[in-house]
Amino acid sequence: MAARLTLADVNLHFGGVTVLKDVGFTVEPGTVLGLVGPNGAGKTSLFNCISGHYRPSSGSIRIDDAEISQTRPAGMSRHGLARTFQHPALQLESTVLDNVLLGGHARLPGGPASWAVRLPPMVRSERELRAEALDRLEELGLGWAAHRSADELSHGLHKGVELCRALMARPQVLLLDEPAAGLSHGEVDSFIQTIHGLKAAGEITLVIVEHHMGVISALADRVVVLNHGSKLMEGTACQAQSDPRVIEAYLGKDSMDSNDSTDTRDGIGDDAA
Amino acid sequence: MGAQKTGLLRTPWFQLTLALVAVVLLVVAPLLLPIPVNQTLARIGVFAVAVLGLNVIMGYTGQVSLGQIFFLGLGAYVTAYGVENGWNIALVFLAAVVIPGVVGLIVALAAARLGGLAIAMVTIALPIIGVPLAKRLSDVTGGSQGISARFSSAPDWTGLANDQWQYYLVLAIGGISFLLVFNLVRGKYGRAFRIVKENEAVAGAMGISPYRYKVLAFTIASMVGGVSGFLYMVVVQYTSPETLAFHHSISLLAAMVVGGAGSIIGSLIGGIYYVLVPNFTNEVAPTLTSLIQGAILLLVLFILPGGIASLPRVLRRWTGRSSRSSPPASSPPEASAPSSDPSPSTPPNTSPSTSSTTPPSTASVKEDSP
Ligand SMILES: Nc1ncnc2c1ncn2[C@@H]1O[C@H](COP(=O)(O)OP(=O)(O)OP(=O)(O)O)[C@@H](O)[C@H]1O
Ligand SMILES: [Mg+2]
Repeated sequence: MAARLTLADVNLHFGGVTVLKDVGFTVEPGTVLGLVGPNGAGKTSLFNCISGHYRPSSGSIRIDDAEISQTRPAGMSRHGLARTFQHPALQLESTVLDNVLLGGHARLPGGPASWAVRLPPMVRSERELRAEALDRLEELGLGWAAHRSADELSHGLHKGVELCRALMARPQVLLLDEPAAGLSHGEVDSFIQTIHGLKAAGEITLVIVEHHMGVISALADRVVVLNHGSKLMEGTACQAQSDPRVIEAYLGKDSMDSNDSTDTRDGIGDDAA
Repeated sequence: MGAQKTGLLRTPWFQLTLALVAVVLLVVAPLLLPIPVNQTLARIGVFAVAVLGLNVIMGYTGQVSLGQIFFLGLGAYVTAYGVENGWNIALVFLAAVVIPGVVGLIVALAAARLGGLAIAMVTIALPIIGVPLAKRLSDVTGGSQGISARFSSAPDWTGLANDQWQYYLVLAIGGISFLLVFNLVRGKYGRAFRIVKENEAVAGAMGISPYRYKVLAFTIASMVGGVSGFLYMVVVQYTSPETLAFHHSISLLAAMVVGGAGSIIGSLIGGIYYVLVPNFTNEVAPTLTSLIQGAILLLVLFILPGGIASLPRVLRRWTGRSSRSSPPASSPPEASAPSSDPSPSTPPNTSPSTSSTTPPSTASVKEDSP
């Protein structure tokens, strides 16, 4: 079941540097939030706070009713949280299938002793997880790559494998950090289809960081714009794209009209100075 | 042709037959071979198990451990002590596994919390403290004299000579240890160990606590070290402070690297290297022993960075590359799939040009210790 993600007054400082300042928003169960903002706005840092890789200096982060701002990364799977990384972090020497199986780790039962003697329930759960991983790869059009070593794949396909790995955890809340960066047009389209499919199933709440406004417009129910670590505005993708404050943050003071008329696919981040 | 050959090599039937032949050979061998050869084979088994333990913590989990020989020594001392005090041999074995395991657990709970190279530093201390400790506690350890325990003479009903019986003990216990570790590292736990080695931030995101898995791997390595200590007593029947001297730990590490870090077969090759190469260099040029060993280590590292166990993989890559280069038969269907898109080959609509300027955002700030 999809869960609600609530952030309130999240602050993050590194030494004297303020990276996040009083960030708060709510993502309703089963919806998609687009998180945008210029480079260095703090989007990835915010993800790191939610996933436990950074500990916020103050503030509250909740999944449904559980407070998770003090939880370690490894404890997040228990709250149904999964994420991908901005720079795909795959095990390049392992096969694609092994990479994807890793995502199902927390769902496998048994301690080391049970696995060392290959108790039947362990063997069965491993076999089921493999079948599921192969299905998922097939769904994302990556079935042919399952037994390839991950370093044989292109960057765009790495993003797909990483998404697949995150989905193997069957998360209730999924954070995707620039899932479309570096993808070809075709790959972006199939990514959008995949997320539409997930949304239709209604079992997952998504937060997507993306510079690619085409993706954000196609997928996000709501958009939060970050700038210099603060929330600049929250609204629909349309509102965000036409909000003068947002355009100013991206472009400096002038010229919103020229940008508006270009293909929506062009990431507004591309134009950032 | 090369592809057909590797295809045959990979069929389950062929592999099963190969395994059966290997087992039969291993079982029959000591009945035909001379005593010194059997003894050497048994010693190989002992150190293969020691390297196997080291591989769990270092090869698979990526935590530098320079203390593996300490756990072999501890297992050997526990075995000697138990035998001397007339314990049941099953109890002796259990103690020789559990006591090193508990010591390893305690060490790891403290060391893994510190992260970074702390495990390496703490493990250096183990053999360095262990040697004088073994000398001091002479009531238990026999001091510098060492302590011997004869419990591995062949029982009459077997009709075997001692060397044969000892060989079979090592084969059985070592074989089971290899099987258990093999099972462990190819499923859930193997994947977890590898991601802890490669990327702790990702491990955390997968629900894998790097701290807990380092402690687990270290404890298993210590227990396997204890098993090798028991087997050491089966074969050598004598232990002294020299058994756990620091330089043996370095040799074990070299053996693991030469055999293949993170490889089960590599552990066996490591055991062979550990026992045979010093024998060999001693005979060829006794004064140049360490020089030759160092040269072998460097040679393997340059030619096969993954150790000797990676040789088939490297060869397969070579042959695979040459046979695949002609037809693009194995190209992904991806290229034709998104046909709705008029220009699938246009350059990707990237933002990396801008976004890749930030450093990889996988840095972990929160220490993963409880
Ligand atoms: N571990 C850290 N220590 C110090 N400063 C950090 C750390 N992590 C992030 N920052 C700073 O926080 C700011 C926000 O970085 P972040 O990576 O979150 O931005 P972003 O919005 O994801 O940018 P991009 O679009 O380029 O990915 C940057 O100025 C960065 O230097
Ligand atoms: Mg980022």
